[in-house]
Amino acid sequence: MKNSHFKYVGKRIPRIDGPEKVTGELKYMTDYQFENMVWGKVLRSSFPYARIKHIDTSRAEALAGVLAVLTHKDIPGFNGFGIVVPDQPVLASDVVRCTGDAIALVAAETQEIAEHALSLIHVDYEPLTPITDAEFAMTDRAPFLHESGNIHSHVTIKNGDTEKAFSEADIILENTFYSPRQMHAFIETEGGWGVLEPDGMLTIRCPGQYAYRDRLQIARALALNPARIRVISNPIGGAFGGKDEITVQIYLALLALHTDGRPVKIHLSREESVIAGIKRHPFKVQMKTAARKDGTIIANQVRAVADTGAYASLGGAVIALAIEHCCGPYKIPNVDLEGFCVYTNNGISGAFRGFGVNQVCAAIETHMDMLAEKLNLDPIELRKKNVYQKGDTSSIGHVLKTSVGTLQTLETAEKCELWKNRALHKKDISEPWKKRGIGLATSFHAVGMGIGLPDYGAATLELMQDGTFKVGVGCEDIGGGNGTVYAQIAAELLNCSISSISVVQGDTSETIDSGTVTASRSTYTGGKAIAAAVPNMIRLLTEAAAEIHGVMPENVLMGDDELYALKEDGEKTVTYKDIFHYLYEKHRPTKVEGHFMLPKEQEEFKGSGGAPHHLYGYLTHIVLVEVDTMTGETDVLRVVSIPDAGKVLNPQGLEGQAEGGAVMGIGYTLYEDVLMEAGYHKTTNFTNYILPTIRETPIIETFPVDSAEETGPFGAKGIGEVVMIPIIAAITNAIYDAAGIRIKHLPATPERIFAALKEQEASTPVNLNE
Amino acid sequence: MFVSEIDMLSPRSLKECLFILENEKSSLRLLAGGTDAVVRMKEGKWRPDYWVNLKHVDELRFITIQKDEIQIGPLTTHSEIINSPLLQAHADVLVQACQEIGATQMQNMGTIGGNIATASPAGDTIPALYALGAVIELTSLSGKRMINVEDFFIGPGKTAAQPNEIISKIAFNVRGKNDIGIFQKLGPRKAQSISIVNAAVTLSMKQGTKECTGGRIAFGSVGPTVIRAKKCEAMLTLGPLTDEMIANIGRVAWKEVMPISDIRASASYRRDMASALLERGLYRLLKRWAEHEE
Repeated sequence: MKNSHFKYVGKRIPRIDGPEKVTGELKYMTDYQFENMVWGKVLRSSFPYARIKHIDTSRAEALAGVLAVLTHKDIPGFNGFGIVVPDQPVLASDVVRCTGDAIALVAAETQEIAEHALSLIHVDYEPLTPITDAEFAMTDRAPFLHESGNIHSHVTIKNGDTEKAFSEADIILENTFYSPRQMHAFIETEGGWGVLEPDGMLTIRCPGQYAYRDRLQIARALALNPARIRVISNPIGGAFGGKDEITVQIYLALLALHTDGRPVKIHLSREESVIAGIKRHPFKVQMKTAARKDGTIIANQVRAVADTGAYASLGGAVIALAIEHCCGPYKIPNVDLEGFCVYTNNGISGAFRGFGVNQVCAAIETHMDMLAEKLNLDPIELRKKNVYQKGDTSSIGHVLKTSVGTLQTLETAEKCELWKNRALHKKDISEPWKKRGIGLATSFHAVGMGIGLPDYGAATLELMQDGTFKVGVGCEDIGGGNGTVYAQIAAELLNCSISSISVVQGDTSETIDSGTVTASRSTYTGGKAIAAAVPNMIRLLTEAAAEIHGVMPENVLMGDDELYALKEDGEKTVTYKDIFHYLYEKHRPTKVEGHFMLPKEQEEFKGSGGAPHHLYGYLTHIVLVEVDTMTGETDVLRVVSIPDAGKVLNPQGLEGQAEGGAVMGIGYTLYEDVLMEAGYHKTTNFTNYILPTIRETPIIETFPVDSAEETGPFGAKGIGEVVMIPIIAAITNAIYDAAGIRIKHLPATPERIFAALKEQEASTPVNLNE
Repeated sequence: MFVSEIDMLSPRSLKECLFILENEKSSLRLLAGGTDAVVRMKEGKWRPDYWVNLKHVDELRFITIQKDEIQIGPLTTHSEIINSPLLQAHADVLVQACQEIGATQMQNMGTIGGNIATASPAGDTIPALYALGAVIELTSLSGKRMINVEDFFIGPGKTAAQPNEIISKIAFNVRGKNDIGIFQKLGPRKAQSISIVNAAVTLSMKQGTKECTGGRIAFGSVGPTVIRAKKCEAMLTLGPLTDEMIANIGRVAWKEVMPISDIRASASYRRDMASALLERGLYRLLKRWAEHEE
């Protein structure tokens, strides 16, 4: 398939939502104000771990301007939420397990009155010693934070005989890696609106990543028929996984039941968002890797421990995906892998772009770099020797049936300017004490859900009065631009102008259930669902045109933005507007649906928590860094991103993802961490949560490899997550190339790098002959 | 106290402002650019009865030269300092310090007087003013007094200014053509960061040589106030500022500072960085001097 055959697919189509976003014209849901609105506020726990003995709300209730004060007693239905296991109370009743735990809700005339009311609620706590270390949480000495124990999940994958392989190896590497508690740091903090409509419907406007599931979680807590609830979850000021779980939807719903039909707004301050919002799981990864002299990797043993904090959210799935990916895109014959997802009192961890793969990729790709150095092999050669291709069996014993582009990404890396001239780039330092280095890493990321989770897509296509089409997909646009891709696919297949397509996303009354915006799945899934709906629309249009002109449907042909009916006296043009009016007058529907089931693997690896996936996206990163050896500061100067996303539907969109992902990866590797001490957040807001700015943003080049996936829409796969994964190890490998130090504890802050340089200096033997 | 209950007074002249400071019995706080004040108000730390809004006191907004003295009005914004040809020529160290403050938006709003009055040990303009040997003029209804910048700061957030006084001028001597300066900042990232350590250096050089006839060195964020490094200063004139000499002076710096550990960095890293920033700063300064001489 050549791009040139297409009008829109594969073309640099500007974002359909671009102008209103870059001009600031678009109002996000938390931007709205209403005249008769009230403010909602959430009382959070004062302790990371405590028993609640008593809650007294009387003084808050008596405060003028307070409409409602709610506690666990006011929850009509089930007091809990959580995507997989609903182990997080909506409002804590007997125990609090993190400082993000909600205890009471207030609705008041002003934000200040609501805040003041919170301070008047008296909670009698019995503080308990918080568990802040995941390894300790797994021991017998630690009290159980949940009845089921502190190990939320334990996954294993075994293949071959690692013990035997280790005994036969020429080289064995063994290291422990620690990763930070990254924050999503979306520009729009959690918030939204709830209102009880005059007809008794409950409307919740709250940015999210799966309106239909949010609706079910609200319904469960309210003991209310979900059909009585409308959830609008789009537009969104960024999500990155952080709005996958319930944020404030249930609070809004509860308060809306008590405000006499007045709309209630909750919008978390950045400080509250830091405390209550989910984060990326901090991991401890112990890895032991064995190879032969020729560079063949023969064994990998991994033990990964993920700190999920007080509640599971998607922690079980995160550790499962981590273990599935922890050997990289390689065929290592002997592996022994296990992962633990562990409860502590450290906030809450959940879904975040990369979903556990980031943490383990850093480990395996550091080992690859170390092996290349120790065996005196080129880092790309070493990887090429070990990568699997379509039809091969991966390390976990999975025979790959879908497209695998790793080899192509490595070949592209080899040929790119930065890699070819790396010796030259290394020499080009800006000041004498600075050192430059170039690093490379490759990784992969599953597209879609694992085994055990139904994975389907659905879309609606509606012919509108003015002859345009409205595409409805449940999947929200969390920033990646999937709406533009949906418009491209619909316009291409309907043979109409893209300006005739409008897209609606994330609204339970306007779209049908299409699954989550997670797992890098929405382009693939939504695209396929639209492709499934289009033939239904074409049939509807053709049959109507045939009826209008009294011809057989096969005598109706599609033109550009119109149809032709072939009659004996010549061609008759039928516009889509004509068809709408014809159908409208006959009271016939103008809307069709398309449904799609994602292909899956048949058999799950026992104990793996859902592995293997059917589809993966692949990517290789190369980076150039400069390390200031006097201060430990690292500058990422250049990034080359080489994705295999299948066929690229919109190069501009792909570059946007690749660049955003690279910057997020730079932040993860060098700057970002939510620091906690004894269960309390030391990091409070963007003053001390260090995000990269434009001054930390290097030149980023994106060179996609063309590896069409035949099951995907026009050959596409997914790209949302893998774009930020290999860059982590590419940066640390580049730091090693520059300064000879291995950073295994991220982020690689100036202080950590400086400490490593000092240690290196101290351990370098003094040459007396000098 | 709610934010919505705070009222604002907006004097139109310095005299009116001083009158308010002298006579108003309610709690007051001066509001210049608001880049610190608004944050602290939101945090609940600063909730006075009245903000005294200085926006219209235009007589406190100036950059002038009087004989051998540069004078800056306290309401001068960081951006105005950065863009002033006079200060670019005579106070490079201060211009560079202002360039390192926050982002452009903060530089447009924040004022030098506000940065001084907030008295943060990490304030970026303060080491530069130490290095320039600046004096601060305080005015009250009963008169004016001058105070050396080093005597102005008592501790974090604490200054020698009395409640009835306002900073009315910042002044320092015009510098000669052989006087050079540099500001060095280490933050957790390059832009929009609070200093882990900062350093300001001014040197008077002997034409055609690497010899220095005198200089001032000050560090920020390594003690309760900005700290002047007199041992290091004394070493500046011991001999030509060769790379080796520079490294030696840098090494002494850690003995001059008494930092604490906080969320940004540990005390021991800060000590090491005081040395590194001084060495790096002197190296860059001497490189610039050599290029200038060519």
